[in-house]
Amino acid sequence: MPDQFFQTLFFGLSQGASYALIALGYTMVYGVLGMINFAHGEIFMLGAYAGILALAGAATFGVVVASPFLAIGGAILAAVVVCAAYGATLERVAYRPLRRAHPLASLISAIGVSIFFQNYVQIAQGTDNKVFLHAVRSAFDGIAWPISFLSPIEGIILLAACLVMAALHFFVTRTRWGTALRAVSQDPVMASLAGIPVDRAIAGTFVLGSSLAAVAGVLVALGHDAHPYMGYLAGLKAFTAAVLGGIGSIPGAMLGGMLLGVVEVLGSTYLPIPEYKDALAFVILVGILLVRPAGLMGQKAVVKV
Amino acid sequence: MKRATLITVATLAAGVAFAAEPIRIGVCGPLTGDQGKQGQDMLHGVELAAAEWNARGGVLRRPVEVISGDDQHDPRQARSVAVKMVNSGVAGVIGHFNSSCTIPASDVYTENDIVMITPASTNPQVTDRGYANVFRVCGRDDQQGRVAARYATDVLKVKMVAVLHDNTTYGKGLADEFKKGLGAGVTVAYYGGIVQGDLDYKAILANVKAKSPDLWFFGGIYPEAGRLAKQAREIGLSAVLMSGDGTIDPEFLKIAGPAAEGTICTFGPDPKRLPSAKAFLATYVKQYGEAGPYSIYAYDAVNILLEGINAAKTTSGTKVAEAIRNREHHGAFGSITFDEKGDVRVSPYVCWKAEKGVFVPCDAAVSAR
Repeated sequence: MPDQFFQTLFFGLSQGASYALIALGYTMVYGVLGMINFAHGEIFMLGAYAGILALAGAATFGVVVASPFLAIGGAILAAVVVCAAYGATLERVAYRPLRRAHPLASLISAIGVSIFFQNYVQIAQGTDNKVFLHAVRSAFDGIAWPISFLSPIEGIILLAACLVMAALHFFVTRTRWGTALRAVSQDPVMASLAGIPVDRAIAGTFVLGSSLAAVAGVLVALGHDAHPYMGYLAGLKAFTAAVLGGIGSIPGAMLGGMLLGVVEVLGSTYLPIPEYKDALAFVILVGILLVRPAGLMGQKAVVKV
Repeated sequence: MKRATLITVATLAAGVAFAAEPIRIGVCGPLTGDQGKQGQDMLHGVELAAAEWNARGGVLRRPVEVISGDDQHDPRQARSVAVKMVNSGVAGVIGHFNSSCTIPASDVYTENDIVMITPASTNPQVTDRGYANVFRVCGRDDQQGRVAARYATDVLKVKMVAVLHDNTTYGKGLADEFKKGLGAGVTVAYYGGIVQGDLDYKAILANVKAKSPDLWFFGGIYPEAGRLAKQAREIGLSAVLMSGDGTIDPEFLKIAGPAAEGTICTFGPDPKRLPSAKAFLATYVKQYGEAGPYSIYAYDAVNILLEGINAAKTTSGTKVAEAIRNREHHGAFGSITFDEKGDVRVSPYVCWKAEKGVFVPCDAAVSAR
């Protein structure tokens, strides 16, 4: 029985890790621009497609991938490049011209972009579900694996997500670029006076957030499959996770994502009516927001004069 | 001279009437989204039939025009698509696909006296509400669930099962009928729903695995069925998966990959074994590629509708429904007659099994009684 509990816990953690990766994109963009990038779920979906297509393309052109780890790494790399380009374009085309407009304008723009991406992928790739090369997945079937409560794929997803998040934490707290990002999020006018290229920092935030979503997309595609509408529900859950952790806070998004994943999975295991797991997750969200309106790790909003 | 002009004008008017007043037929179902493949299959079946009628001179000397409506398997969307169909003046509708959409949409069609024939909705409630204008060319879930349960108890001899469903009218309905059909000799060790559209079901599957059933049943559609099968294998749940006519699609095999092997589904008989379906399949393959599971049902449904209009000599829903009910139809699936509810009188559900990447009919036959 404890084995099943641990198994469930790790399902929750690996699911939460993908929520966390997506939630980071929401929270970082909110941090610098104060807007919710509702097209972010679609960037995640594009990442899943990019990863699947990169591997399928490599297989078509006869590139033999020697190790499944190399294949997954290659897929992640391809997806990151593609999504970073999409993220930068998205910011340049859909948000930058509206930066000084009413905040609702960029929100509507975001929803428009999200609908555009869903239909674009549907037309370009069809409505059917796309799956990761089965060869990559089945390479893990016969592998000697010491942990009974965690499947190899689950382990890879969790490990990769944690590594990426650790790298992000290092980048934001220890590098000059990270310092610039934090400065822009605190006060863009002051940051520009101090000589920080604000436009580039904002574009960089989109590139970074989109890259994280791309990693999540490939990892989810590896464990499951991809379809043009997958970004909607995942985006909604990740946004919830970002709010739960305190929107604008990077560690908050990580914590919120993990927490949401674990609550959902424990809910679907131990609730008498498992399909109410989403209701449970949202009840917890409402409860936390009642006690801490800014989220678990969010800072109280200071009115800037 | 005057007479000649009159005749010319009359002929011209008739010619204009032929061009301007087509008989419109609606096709409604999930044309886009994750179930888009099923909707497109339906649409292709209907378009093929409409083209054949037009080549023969149309219906009541009017051309047949196909109008499609996308309900995205959302019941609310289905209702507004139904209103759109009514406003475009359709003489009849082929659809919808999901029972949860067909039922609310049928209210709209009934209020507006429009005939609706669904090629795929199997929930008993579709025809049990006494609507005279509602028909279906597929079977019912109470029959289907019984056949599945019989197969599980008599052929597979299972003693303990787990039952999952996707919380839709169709999925939960089918799962409940299956459960009902099992009888006292079989224990249902787990019963629960999943959320449609979720990507990860491993936690629920781990619960199923903990009960170590001989078989697990899923009431739902192929995207979720495919994910469930794949993840079940991943966590080491090796019991046989059984499902219904929503799962039997090549897409299921693609999503589940090697994990699909051995899955059993209830569905109608194999059209490839029917001599009456030969011509349809040959033309379909040429135009659209391999026929989907529901292409042939949609093709038969629209032919029944157009023959009904032809026989009734009007597009009035009540008269067309009467004509459909009183006739014997010879479609690609063979002879079809309807009972007073609008169900087909004979619906021979059989079991299919996924073997080496394709669904093949099982040889062992069980009766629905």
